[in-house]
Amino acid sequence: MANKIFDRDTLLDLTVNVVPLFIIGFFVVGFVVLAPFGIDPLASAIQFGLLAVPFVLLAVLTYFAGRAVAGAEHSSDVYLPGQASVRGAEPLEEFDDTPESLERDQTNAVEGETADDAADDH
Amino acid sequence: MQVNGQLALTVLMGIFLVAVAAWLARIENWRSYTPIGGGGALGQQEGYVSEEKPSGIIRWLTTVDHKDIGLLYGTYGLIAFVVGGLMVTVMRIELIDPGMSFISNQFYNSLLTSHGITMLFLFGTPIIAAFANYLVPLLIGADDMAFPRINAIAFWLLPPAALLIWAGFFPIPDLIPAQTAWTMYTPLSAGVGAGNQANAGVDLMLLGLHLSGVSATMGSINFIATIFTERGDDVSWANLDIFSWTILTQSGLILFAFPLLGSALVMLLFDRNFGTTFFAGEGGAMLWQHLFWFFGHPEVYILVLPPMGIVSYVLPRFSGRRLFGFKFVVYSTLAIGVLSFGVWAHHMFATGMDPRLRASFMAVSLAIAIPSAVKTFNWITTMWNGRVRLTTPMLFCIGFVSNFIIGGVTGVFLASIPVDLILHDTYYVVGHFHYVVMGAIAFAGFAGLYYWYPLYTGRMYQKTLGKAHFWLSMVGTNITFFAMILLGYGGMPRRYATYLPQFASLHQVATIGALILFVGQVIFVWNFVQSWLEGPTVDDGDPWDLRESGLYTAEWDWYDQKLQTAIADGGEEEDSVLTDGGDEEESVRTDGGDVDAADD
Repeated sequence: MANKIFDRDTLLDLTVNVVPLFIIGFFVVGFVVLAPFGIDPLASAIQFGLLAVPFVLLAVLTYFAGRAVAGAEHSSDVYLPGQASVRGAEPLEEFDDTPESLERDQTNAVEGETADDAADDH
Repeated sequence: MQVNGQLALTVLMGIFLVAVAAWLARIENWRSYTPIGGGGALGQQEGYVSEEKPSGIIRWLTTVDHKDIGLLYGTYGLIAFVVGGLMVTVMRIELIDPGMSFISNQFYNSLLTSHGITMLFLFGTPIIAAFANYLVPLLIGADDMAFPRINAIAFWLLPPAALLIWAGFFPIPDLIPAQTAWTMYTPLSAGVGAGNQANAGVDLMLLGLHLSGVSATMGSINFIATIFTERGDDVSWANLDIFSWTILTQSGLILFAFPLLGSALVMLLFDRNFGTTFFAGEGGAMLWQHLFWFFGHPEVYILVLPPMGIVSYVLPRFSGRRLFGFKFVVYSTLAIGVLSFGVWAHHMFATGMDPRLRASFMAVSLAIAIPSAVKTFNWITTMWNGRVRLTTPMLFCIGFVSNFIIGGVTGVFLASIPVDLILHDTYYVVGHFHYVVMGAIAFAGFAGLYYWYPLYTGRMYQKTLGKAHFWLSMVGTNITFFAMILLGYGGMPRRYATYLPQFASLHQVATIGALILFVGQVIFVWNFVQSWLEGPTVDDGDPWDLRESGLYTAEWDWYDQKLQTAIADGGEEEDSVLTDGGDEEESVRTDGGDVDAADD
């Protein structure tokens, strides 16, 4: 299920938040390796806490936001934002819940997993 | 005999008050307003009837309709903008000359304090609430806000908040205005020492600020509940418009930031009046700064995220294409929301805190630049090769992007500790954040006010005046605040009423820029009020030709329905009042709405 929601497009959309995560991660590593001001139990704990807390919160929020948005895309019609309640608005993507489409989705998901596995093997 | 006299007077007064109330209730409507046409939200399904909405001033005092409350917030915000603008105009005129010439130093400090608090708490937050109240329920297909009465209460806390904040300026014996600057740093704001800040005017200002925080918190809870629970059937998270996303994120920030400000303010009030010692002694000043900036930095994003939402919403309409990377903008908005709580001490790099902590705040401050920059690239890419129509709202959007780049890039330098230690407490910082608050936030506010002008007034503004307003604001902003950045490089410290003669030229340039800005805002007020009263009526539910490019949205659809279902009072159509010599067809098509002209 998770793979179905976090498909390639969604992961690409979420990269925007991976960049600040990377920057914070970069500084964490930098401060561990170089420790320019030395290590002090209290100050260092706060120092890394100030980096770890935003990192974790951002990662968690990004996960849930991605799941909410991509999940909604996979389970209902997608309109141009702001257009959903306009009279006679045409969806950009119609939600197709016929058995064939569900089967197709499953097939794609399996193929995706297979591809991932293959990539892992390498 | 005396008792009878008093009784008679009381009865007379009672009759008089009842008569006034009756007269007010019967007073003519302020604007054309029909129960079906104006009372209903999207789909007109909830069935307002006229009895539920009295006419005249009673309507405005008792309304719980999100659109009316939005208009109240807007009126309030614009009045505060005028007050805050006049305050800074006086300050800039004083700064033409290096010495104390026009106003006293104490009065300058009072204006400095009130200008900041007025613009941030009485203009910035309320004007955003104005847009959010009016538009979010329309955009998400809700009948109204989740808690309409709380919505009304939240607004009505604001007028007393303003009176308390400005109380020191009123001719009340023994009361002086606060001179603490908007940051209210202790020990000055604790009223200790030989200064005059133990005065009750400071207490009233703190109470007013607290009240405005309560108002903002109530509003934010309402928006979160509304966006989570009141969305229409088709409005999923994937279909939610960008403005509502930014309001949702902003409301989350308010929910975590403002209660902390409230607590800190109460602690400060207790220190001042009840002998507590929260901020006295060693570490007290640092405690205040930490508490204040833990609120204060998210406050910056509370103020900037919804304007970013307005620009993300309006700019594509006049670029003839969808917002580039919509989901990038959504996720980066959420990222800013989270990271904004991890950067507060970059305002305190010069306080001598532990360098390890300082380094962490620098890291997160650099990281938060990424989501802001992502948005900037999205706006530019949206316009790239688009069918750009340079209407007044679009000009303000482009001005926003331009000014935000300067304001943002100057901020990235400040995030770096070594640079900050040199530029801290100089005019560079003032220039940097004014590029953001005036050049970006206020510009986005103007973009929204012009874009939705037909929606909330039913009339069209005067396009030439709108463009004059833009150009004067753009030129004035850049002259004023770029001169401030240069002043900062030269070492001019901020907050002072007087300065060394070597800074005179750049201060005079900044004052000229401020006067240009002032003229622009006078034009805006004139255009805004006169067009509302006399502008040509907009009889088209799509005044910006959005259907043509497939960018028509829910709020205009609501307006279209309102026009179609409006019942003319007495069966006679109201004549459209035209501007001087204005041809209705042309003037209502408006402002670059003519594609051919724009293509040229």
